[in-house]
Amino acid sequence: MKTTRREFLGSVAAGAALIAAPAIVRAQGADVIRIGALCPITGAGGPYGSGMQKMIIAAAEAVNAAGGAAGRKIEIVAEDTQTNPQAAVLAAKKLIEVNKVQAILGTWSSGVSLAVIPLTNDAGIPLMHCSGAPALSVPPANAKGLGFRFQATNERFGRAFAEICEKEGFKRPATMAFNNASGIGNTEGFAKAWKAKGGEVVESVVYEPNQASYRSELMKVLAANPDVIVTGSYIADTTIILREWFQTGQPVKWIIPGWAANPQLVEALGNEVVEGIISVDSVSNEGSEAFKVYDEAYQKAMGQPGTNNVYAAMTWDMMTLLALAIEAAGTADIPAVVAKLRDVDHADGKKVSTFAEGKEALKAGKINYEGASSSLDLDEYGDVTPDFGAYFIEGGKFNRRYIVKI
Amino acid sequence: MIYAQLAVNGLVQGLVVGLGALALTLVFGIARFPNAATGDTMTFGAYTALTVHKASGSLVLGSIAAVGGAAVLALVAYLAVFKRLAGRSVVSLLVASIGIGFMIRAGLGIAFGHQQQVFNVPLSRPIRIAGLAINPLDLQLAVVAAVALAAVFAILYLTPIGRQMRAVADNRDLARVSGIRPERVMTAMWLIAGGVCAIGGMMLGIKTVVAPEVGWDMLLPIFAATILGGIGSPVGAVVAGLVLGVAQEVSTPFVGFTYKIALSFVVLLAVLLVRPRGLFGRIEGVR
Repeated sequence: MKTTRREFLGSVAAGAALIAAPAIVRAQGADVIRIGALCPITGAGGPYGSGMQKMIIAAAEAVNAAGGAAGRKIEIVAEDTQTNPQAAVLAAKKLIEVNKVQAILGTWSSGVSLAVIPLTNDAGIPLMHCSGAPALSVPPANAKGLGFRFQATNERFGRAFAEICEKEGFKRPATMAFNNASGIGNTEGFAKAWKAKGGEVVESVVYEPNQASYRSELMKVLAANPDVIVTGSYIADTTIILREWFQTGQPVKWIIPGWAANPQLVEALGNEVVEGIISVDSVSNEGSEAFKVYDEAYQKAMGQPGTNNVYAAMTWDMMTLLALAIEAAGTADIPAVVAKLRDVDHADGKKVSTFAEGKEALKAGKINYEGASSSLDLDEYGDVTPDFGAYFIEGGKFNRRYIVKI
Repeated sequence: MIYAQLAVNGLVQGLVVGLGALALTLVFGIARFPNAATGDTMTFGAYTALTVHKASGSLVLGSIAAVGGAAVLALVAYLAVFKRLAGRSVVSLLVASIGIGFMIRAGLGIAFGHQQQVFNVPLSRPIRIAGLAINPLDLQLAVVAAVALAAVFAILYLTPIGRQMRAVADNRDLARVSGIRPERVMTAMWLIAGGVCAIGGMMLGIKTVVAPEVGWDMLLPIFAATILGGIGSPVGAVVAGLVLGVAQEVSTPFVGFTYKIALSFVVLLAVLLVRPRGLFGRIEGVR
């Protein structure tokens, strides 16, 4: 291939423009606070990721519309975790090293959060996530106290499962868990709570992802004649397992976490297969003012009601709470901001539901941000304790029969 | 009895892996590089079948469309990329194939979204044959796979183009001086490889769910089966796929479900230690 002088000059010009571009970006970026949105746009978290990312952006827009936090505008840099730890680590490295973000918000699956948190710890920035793995509360993962969880831990999910099991009068539960921190966390949390109630788990199986069939796993579990199977699973494997279970014809009930037993599952399997399945999910703080504001933003961005995506309410709260802490600290200096996170969520403070309201109230004194996802009240581990809803799938509809408080 | 049932469970999974491995080994034998886009070609086949099945309600039409679509896709990839890179190092071709895989996956993600989709096939109770529970759908899929395999082997071993393909796989230079036109052989090979991928992808899609990553996730077992069967050996690829599938399932009472995948790699290691050329491979001199 021959290069003409014109082509050569053209490529030099293009190269020069490329080199110059980051300088322009840097110049613009001097007075904004950059926040990384690292959501599962693709992969198992795909049904939730877009909404989560859009709510981080929408909450940031609300902050900017109210004049910014500590006088500075917020700029969101978004990346996709692909619900895959390797991809998430690459994206987090890029956010930290190239974009110089001050916090990363919105990681979803536990495997991803566990992979990303060492990076945010090293960078000394907070990671706000919706993962359930108990390991994320304590050292080594949360050695610096920079991890904040806006979702219930899997252990708490497990406890909710045990409560429901008792309430429904099941006697012989078995468990099936996807082999990762979240799946096993769910079923072990359940087994612990169930045994504490004096119950017995008749069989438990841990299975591998991405299998064409789970028939052998099912054979083993069903051979123990359980009356209910409690899972820690995701949607793709749940789809395959339930289809194969239905084909065996052995009657059994299921208790499945809400991220796996969702309307997509009903669509995939049809009403007959999923009839009577109990889907358990943390419930958003639906009566709150903050939820109304979030719901409006969600409808605008996604064209669906905000109740469809509990995780989007969590990411909305992440951005709002972080911005309030920045405002309270009066600086984007991270240690100062982290120190203020619990202050703007303080039990004695004035209740506020939006950033604008909180910014105003901060002038007078302490505030307590009542979130859209839960009342927050981050505990010493940076965890929240939402309530759980027991949804029974009946005729393809999710009917919430009762709320479980643990 | 339980082992027989486990073996039956493993056969179906083995067939999917075997079909993927067959496509991989065909390309390896003739074009001489590991085609990392094999898994994504399977996904493409699954989506094509899904779309046609949704529109027409017929799995037969769906599979025909999938075979045609994926065959054309494989041929286009060859004409647009691999042909131009012919003669370059294996690594360039491998990297190019990874790139093509990325493009297919991303394209499917944009066109169909990343949420899982499923084939709406009626669910049926298993039939009992000699105490074994066998799912009628599995049986149908196995028949489809058997027909596809029979067709591929008939082409390879009973037709002039198949003979030419095997000649090129054996010794490219000798085939050339004997008057075999590599262009025709390559075209036929890519069409067949694409078609085989489509059948495997469709089976996987019907058995599990269809999402842009499903084929890519199958790549590891497919590579394992290809190596186990002896690289470049079509019969070996299919047999190895079945062996791995059955070994995985039958091992579960001993090693549990968590380690069954590791076990299939232990089988791979053991076989390669005893028979470095794989089950059906031949020792090749370096020319």
